[in-house]
Amino acid sequence: MSPNLTLYTALALYAAGTVMALATLFTREKRPQHVALGMMIAGFVAHTFWIGTICVRTGHPPLTNLPEAVGFIAWTIFAVEIALFIRYRVHAASFFVYPLVLMLLTLSAVVHEPFIKTPAGISRLFITHIFLTTIGVAGLLIGLAFGALAWAQDRALKTKNRGALWDWIPSLNVCKTVSYRALAIGFSVYTLGILAGILWSYRTTAGLMDLRVKQIGAVIAWILFAIVLQAYINDTYRTRRTAVIGACAFVAIMVAILGIHHV
Amino acid sequence: MPLIVVGVNHRTAPVDVRERLSVSPSRIVETLDDLRTLDGINGAAVLSTCNRVEAIVSAAAEDVIEPIVEWLTQRAGTNRAELEKHVYILRHGDVLKHLFRVASGLDSMIVGEPQIAGQVRAAFLASRELGALDSLLSQVFDQTMRVAKRVRTDTGIGEHAVSVPYAAVELAKKIFGDLRKLNVLIVGAGEMAELTAEHLAGFDVQHVFVANRALDRARELAQRFHGVAMQFDAVPSYLKECDIVIVSTAAPHFVIESEHVAHAMATRRRRNLFLIDLSVPRNIDPEIANIDGAYLYNIDDLQQVADSNRELRMQKAHEAEEIVEREVDGFRRRLVAQDAVPTIVELQGRLEDIRTHELEKCLRRMGPVSADQRAAVEQLSTQLVNKILHYPILQLKEAEEPAERETLRKTIRKIFGLR
Repeated sequence: MSPNLTLYTALALYAAGTVMALATLFTREKRPQHVALGMMIAGFVAHTFWIGTICVRTGHPPLTNLPEAVGFIAWTIFAVEIALFIRYRVHAASFFVYPLVLMLLTLSAVVHEPFIKTPAGISRLFITHIFLTTIGVAGLLIGLAFGALAWAQDRALKTKNRGALWDWIPSLNVCKTVSYRALAIGFSVYTLGILAGILWSYRTTAGLMDLRVKQIGAVIAWILFAIVLQAYINDTYRTRRTAVIGACAFVAIMVAILGIHHV
Repeated sequence: MPLIVVGVNHRTAPVDVRERLSVSPSRIVETLDDLRTLDGINGAAVLSTCNRVEAIVSAAAEDVIEPIVEWLTQRAGTNRAELEKHVYILRHGDVLKHLFRVASGLDSMIVGEPQIAGQVRAAFLASRELGALDSLLSQVFDQTMRVAKRVRTDTGIGEHAVSVPYAAVELAKKIFGDLRKLNVLIVGAGEMAELTAEHLAGFDVQHVFVANRALDRARELAQRFHGVAMQFDAVPSYLKECDIVIVSTAAPHFVIESEHVAHAMATRRRRNLFLIDLSVPRNIDPEIANIDGAYLYNIDDLQQVADSNRELRMQKAHEAEEIVEREVDGFRRRLVAQDAVPTIVELQGRLEDIRTHELEKCLRRMGPVSADQRAAVEQLSTQLVNKILHYPILQLKEAEEPAERETLRKTIRKIFGLR
């Protein structure tokens, strides 16, 4: 199967699943939500094929340019989402995670950069850097999504006003726990990824890092996520300040992702 | 084969009639045996709950209804005219719809209540164990349970609490998820607090502490929940240990102040606190609602939750009714088609015999023919037979009323000379 066909199949299935899942916000019906999940899983299978074909064609993990890395981040996010769904049966995360996965894979489809067949600059250290950063970003984004759910649940309980998400959100404790763990793990892995990146930069350019958009975005995101994680540790995540910092961290991480260029 | 339900429920009969007809689980065997002695009954089940008593039977013919009503009259120890005011009789498709609705909780006093599905299951299982379910009732039972499950899964009709104590439990689950490791503190001994604690205790909470001004009463209540009685004055110091606090006292002032909770929250480290104030006048300082991690609900808040859940259930009930309608339609078609199968098979066999016989005769008369010619003649004969059979089979499959189906079957058997 051609890479483009699997990519577009995954995109189409993700798009249909996302639209259907978002529609259940208004209808509150469970069946469409299950169908949406089925479509997303089918999309995930196609997505996996697409990643597999890239690995076969280029002979290295799909991490060397923007379309590849973004596609891999989307894949990792959805894999984590599926694992969390199996463990906690959390439908509400789909309202955040599905659009995010769709958005990232769309980026992958619209941005064209050539596949690198013989990557001269790709060393093990570089692959480690990208791999850890990607996993870290996926963890952080999942942490943010569940953090948003925890915030929504806290607001609904405090104001006694059950919103559209009420039926879909699991208990406040589950949201808090998943968010905290995802942020803690994501942050640790992301930190290691950045350190590996600095080391790789030092080896290849004899400097710790240059100040391109992706580096600045990554460092700002790291600082902001550290503040968000600290808010979770101190149980002050409910504040408006944490919400704003979380939103900024999301933007920063997106800037860092979009700043990726091929080597 | 007709399906029949004869019974009374909370809408048609007062409690004194229902209680005379009700069957305790220990007497179900005897009652079923008694019912099956009536002539013409092929299979039977008895559903007896506090809201309904019904005899569900499959019978050879509808004339079994009279003896069933008579049987119920005897059981009720009343006269026939009196009982007939309360009895309803359902036949065929109405039986399916009724059973599907009952098992789904749509015919219950509290719409969507989940216990009824278990009661229907128990009634049919008891009957199955006694060998009282024939193949038709067995299929009806399996389908009834499938529909009940589908209604609950697809609509979530029974998910939301419609009483104040259950609303409190629902909120506790929304905050904590798993209630098993939680400590519950009951302050005062109001009836509603007791009920709420009873529901929570049903989820195997870790510890229950009871505080009351009269320590004897606290001990009595604590014993019921396998908990610990404590001095009323110790309540503030226990706030840091407990996760759910239910307050229902007659005190005219706040029993739990904002400072108590603020102090407790400082030592709880990321653990939430759910406070339920069931007292009027209120016993928990409303300012507590502003403290992070503390969730305060008073009796009006819980009532509001229960009311809005009730409205939600009514909306879900509309969706559930649509599912039931579709399921009745589909299952009735399957039953009719299944009932017609023996006649259809026999009819097809008969025409196939005629076709092969006549085909052989024709081919003998024609003499040597090529393989293509033989295939063409065979195809022609098969198509002719299929065309002839199409409408009789369709009619057999679509005749929904048993009487109509029986007439049709007899006519077809006569016309085509089936044995």
